[in-house]
This record gives sequence, structure tokens and C-alpha cells, in this order.
Amino acid sequence: MKNSNSYTAIAYLFLAPALILMGIFTFWPVAFNTYLAFGNYDLGSGHVTWNNFEHFKYLYKEELFHHALKNSLLYLLIVPVIQISALVVAKLVNNKLPGMTMFRAIYYIPVIAAVSIAAVVWQNVYKYDGILTWFFQMIHVLPEGVDGQIDWIGNPDTALYMVMVFTFWKGIGYYMVLYLAGLQAISPEIEEAAILDGANAWQRFWKITVPLVKPTILLCTLLSTIAAIKSFQEVMVLTKGQADTYTALYYVIDQAFRNYNFGRAAAAGLVVTFFCMILAIIQFRFFGDKN
Amino acid sequence: MGVLLSEEEIPSVLSITQEEDKMKLKKMLVVGAAVFAVAAQAQAAETLEFWTMNLAPKFEPFFKERVAKFNAANKDVEAKWVDMNWDQIQPKLVAAIAAGSPPALVNFNVPWVHEFAAQGNILPVEQYMGAAKNDYLPAALKDVTVKGQVYAFPFYNSVSIIAYNKDIFEKAGVKAAPKSFDELMTIGKQIKDKTGVAAFAPKLSNFTGMFYYAGLPMIEGGKAVFNGPKHVAFVQKFADAYKSGVIPKDAFKIEFEQEIALYNSGKIAMMTTAPQALKRTETDAKAIYGKTGVAAFPVGEGKMAFGAWLMDFVVPKGTKNPAAAAKLGLFLTNDESQVAFSKATETTFPSTKKGNLDPYFQTGANSADPVDQARAVAAKSMDNARTLTIPPGVLPDEAAMTKKLQDEVQNAIEGRKPVKAALDAAVAAWNEKLAK
Repeated sequence: MKNSNSYTAIAYLFLAPALILMGIFTFWPVAFNTYLAFGNYDLGSGHVTWNNFEHFKYLYKEELFHHALKNSLLYLLIVPVIQISALVVAKLVNNKLPGMTMFRAIYYIPVIAAVSIAAVVWQNVYKYDGILTWFFQMIHVLPEGVDGQIDWIGNPDTALYMVMVFTFWKGIGYYMVLYLAGLQAISPEIEEAAILDGANAWQRFWKITVPLVKPTILLCTLLSTIAAIKSFQEVMVLTKGQADTYTALYYVIDQAFRNYNFGRAAAAGLVVTFFCMILAIIQFRFFGDKN
Repeated sequence: MGVLLSEEEIPSVLSITQEEDKMKLKKMLVVGAAVFAVAAQAQAAETLEFWTMNLAPKFEPFFKERVAKFNAANKDVEAKWVDMNWDQIQPKLVAAIAAGSPPALVNFNVPWVHEFAAQGNILPVEQYMGAAKNDYLPAALKDVTVKGQVYAFPFYNSVSIIAYNKDIFEKAGVKAAPKSFDELMTIGKQIKDKTGVAAFAPKLSNFTGMFYYAGLPMIEGGKAVFNGPKHVAFVQKFADAYKSGVIPKDAFKIEFEQEIALYNSGKIAMMTTAPQALKRTETDAKAIYGKTGVAAFPVGEGKMAFGAWLMDFVVPKGTKNPAAAAKLGLFLTNDESQVAFSKATETTFPSTKKGNLDPYFQTGANSADPVDQARAVAAKSMDNARTLTIPPGVLPDEAAMTKKLQDEVQNAIEGRKPVKAALDAAVAAWNEKLAK
């Protein structure tokens, strides 16, 4: 009989290309990073010497890192906002109305735009005499003239949130497309049945749409959580980490490529990875199927 | 480790375009072929490989000519030029030293010289310089002196100037460009009050350089000391200027590019930056360019010209023939080579005494063209050109410490914290790290 062993072998054969790639570009770097985190890396010789958790002790006491980590975790605020908005927008553009394709395209454009180019545009939005200030002055929320000018990404009170808005603008189209795929998998009969039963739009959204796209919600929240914890690009191009927007990954990059302290950078990276894992586990518990 | 170069510090002439990328590929093939050729050929002449950063392909003619001249005069050795990106040079050199086959010469900036000298990875070169040592500007030699030993051959340099908008000056009733830092601040206030235009955008993203420029020490006896009364007064000047609008609101975000853009659109009265910025004004803002006057950036209490960034050649440890390497180093940085290179870049300056006296620089003094003027003005400033950085290796956690300093200085200047309190906080954080 063709036993299950040969099936397993064939299965692995099919998995091999993906596994090899993941091994080289994901598993090995993670493993090597972990190894680096526990030692001092000498740039000249490439030797790593065990240092008794020195990097972790350093990070434990390092206020700048705590601060950066706090900013990264604060960045998680964007996750529910972006997910709910993306789902609602997906629901809206999922109607068979004229012009819907255009709307989908419009929402998706920021996703394709390069971060650095989009940042140039947004810098002019956020400049103290930029579009945002002008808009608020026009509707008389801010006083006219110099007194009403706010340097949106230069002021520590607002800067991080403004960077989040940028992330929101840039990411919403991406999650919208994923939700669209999820929504289109729902058969219209269910929706029709609910209408016959007299459910209103609100009830249909919460009782039918949300439960049925739950797998997509899990995927999207996971992706955007990881993206939020790893926020670096947006900060780099908009504020360079000034005005209290320094994030954990920015700290990692600085330690690696300004101090050339790869061991400490690896340790900090490992801490960030740890937080990603914890959050992923929580989300699987929360959105995942119980069975 | 070394502070990252800002755009300004890599002269704009060295930027890489797509065209150059293509050239790079070609060059790689050429170099690749050359390597094979050398390997195949019997060891006729000893190869002296020298590395530069971001100078190909634009300055290929210059290096080709120099290499040919050197090789013709020295039959026993053969110089070979290799150019690479500035961020590759260090890792490649470290790898080459580790492998025991480093090149003869490497193009470095000042922080790297200090760092590699401290590690013992480059050789002192004073013994090879002989009388030629006196050809270099003393300030340039000081830049590359570590523990009393000269570790590099000074090559090209750059220095800040003041380019000012004559119209705005006239409206504000300012007669002449500032001669001192304090005057720069008073004139700034006058400009802001009379015209409403911000006066200038100082380089606040590297405040260490500012302290050095003002002649104020950062670290003494292993302790941070930048919260003294003089330091507080100095930062206070910026805080006052910021508050009264002499400095733009987003000054901490203004780098080389943004400063040029502000000046070109008439939003600041003075541009305090490297002379090559004027080239951009010439092409992008003809009207403003026509109204531009040029003056030297005032020498501060530190008796230093502002905005210098010296490039040099070092001899790596383990190079096979240090004497021959030094010979090539001296040749590439002699008066003739340096003037020729400055002519090729049009925006950099020699680090030799005679070099800066060359008619090429000095004739511009009476020219009507701002770029020519700037060249003359900057060449005169070269005597005081020092690269302003804390030598690498002094700070145990440079990235975090610099970050702390910048954050606190920003809080102080933007008025969120009293200056004294901000500097105290930064000093405390520095000392905690220095004590470890």
C-alpha cells in the first residue's frame, strides 16, 4: 500500500522551495540574531564572545530604549483604528455601484507610493505653515497668523500621532483589499436571508460580516500589529526620531549602524521580537478559532 | 562610531545618479577584469591599490591622469584606483585587514581616522612625510593628529560661508555681513524685526559641532561639562533667536537641501552653508542669485572656521609596503594634485598652504559672480578649518548620548525647558554612561 510515509515525503517535497527560502531569509537570520544577542561581536575578526547577558542588563537600565519601546507600543493605537476603518471602507466599496473601481484604486494608491516620496508630501502637510495649519486656521480652530502655527511633527505632544496618521493613510488601502477578498467570499444568500428576517444594516455588519471575515481580521490585525511595533520607516522619513518619536526599531538601527554595536542591536531586536510574539499569541487567542 | 555624513558633508558633486550607476556596473566589470589581469600577470610591479569614496565616475579623468603620472615616475610600483560607496569602505577595509591584504591607501574622514588610530588599525605616517609635512595647513594636520602623531595625508576640504540676500539686508538696514557670531545674532534680530523674514537656519542637528565652534569643551577629565554658564549662555542665544523668529520654527528639521530651498524662495535672508549650495541657487533661483552677496562665516571663539569636513588618506595596518604607500599618499595630496582636484569639483578646497593661494581661488575675490566670490572667501577660511566632532571612541554609547544631547538642546531652544535644566539633564545622562 502507498503508505502515509511516502505521502509525507511528497508533501515535504512540495513544501521544500518555500521552506528553503524561509530558512535562508527568515529562520537563519532569526537564529543568528539570537546568537549575536548573547555575545560581543567583533567587527574586525567576526568573533562573537559570550558576555553573560550583558546587553540585556544594559537594555534593562537604558532609559532611551524603554522610551523607544514605549513609543513603539503606543503605536499600537493605530491597529484598531486602521482595522475598523479598513473593514468599513471595504464594505462600502464592495457595493455594485458605478465608480466603485475608481474608489478602490484611490484608496490603494498610497500603498504603492514609496514611503520616502509620500513623506515629502506629508512634510508639507505637517509643516508649521503647511496645509494642515492652513486648514485649521481657515475653519477658525486655530488663531490666524504666527500664533496659530503648529509644527505638527516638531512638537513632542503631537508628532507621534501625526506619524500614525501617515501610517493610517498609507496602510488603509492594503487592509481594505485584504478585507475585500474576505467579503467577496461571503455568499450573498446569507445577506439576503438576513434582510428577509428584517435585520438592519448595522446588525448585518456585526452579526454576519464580522464573524464571517474573522480569519481575515486575524490576519490583518496580526500584520498591522507587527507593522506598528516595527514602525521605523515612517519615523525615519518624517521626523528622524526627533520630537519624542524615537521607536524601538530606530534604537536597533542606531545601535547597529551608528555605534556598530551589533550585539546590543541584536539584543534590542530580540526584545522587539519578543513583544511581537506575545501580541501574536494574544490575538490568536482572541480572534482565532477555538478548535 | 563615526557620525554619519550629512548630505552637506558629501559634496553634492559626489552624489550618484542613474547614469553613474550604469558606469558603476561597467567599472565593476572593468575592475573585475583588471583583477584577473593582475592575477594572471607575473608580479612585474608591486600594486598599490588606493580606495576613494564616491569619486567615480565623475573624477575619473583626474585620477587616471594622476595614476598615470605617478606610475611613470615610479617604475617599481603600480598605483591602482578603486572607488566605492562611503558606507562600504569601512566594512571592506576591516575585512581586508582581517584577511591580511589591505590596500595601500584609503580615503577616510576625520572621525574614522581617530577611531582606526585608536584601534591601531592604521599606521602613523609622520615618519614618511619629511619636509612635506610643512606643505599642509596646520589646522588640517591637527584634524588628523591622534595622541601627537599624524595619522593621515590631508586631502580635500570644504567650509561654510554666508550667502546673503542683498535686498533683504537693505530693507532691514543691515550694512555689512556679520563679523562675529554675536553680530550674526543681532543682525538676525534686526532682519526679523524690520522685514519679518527669518534670518538664517543654523545647523542644529549637530550641536556638538556648535559647541566646538564656540570654543566650548564638551568633555573634560572624562566628565561631561557642557552645562557651565558659558554653555548655557550660548544655547540661550539660540533659544532667544528661536523665540523671536530669527530662526525658522522647524529649524531642527532643516538640513542642507531644505536650507537651499528656503534661501532660494526668499524665506531666509542668509544661507550659512558650504559654497556648493550656491551652485544650486544659480541653477534654481536666478533672481535670488543675482541679489546674493558672499561673506566668510565668522570665526567663533573656538578660532575655527565653521562647517569644515576634511577628507584624507590613511595607510592601513598590514599594508605590504608602507613607504611606497606613503609616497603615493604624498603625491595624491601635494599642491598640484589638490589644486587640480579642486578645479575638478569646483566646490572643494585644498588642505595645503600653497594650494589655497592658487590664482584659481583668489581671482574670484573681485568677481561679480557669487560662486567665484564664495570660492575666494572659503579658500581664505581654510586656515581655520577644523572638523568639529568629538573623536570617536570617547563616547561609550555614541548613538544614545548624541540623541540625548540633541533632544535636550531641542527642548531648550524650542522653549519647552529652561536651558540650564535641559543641559543639566543631558550632562547627567552623559556622566552616567561615561562612568561605566
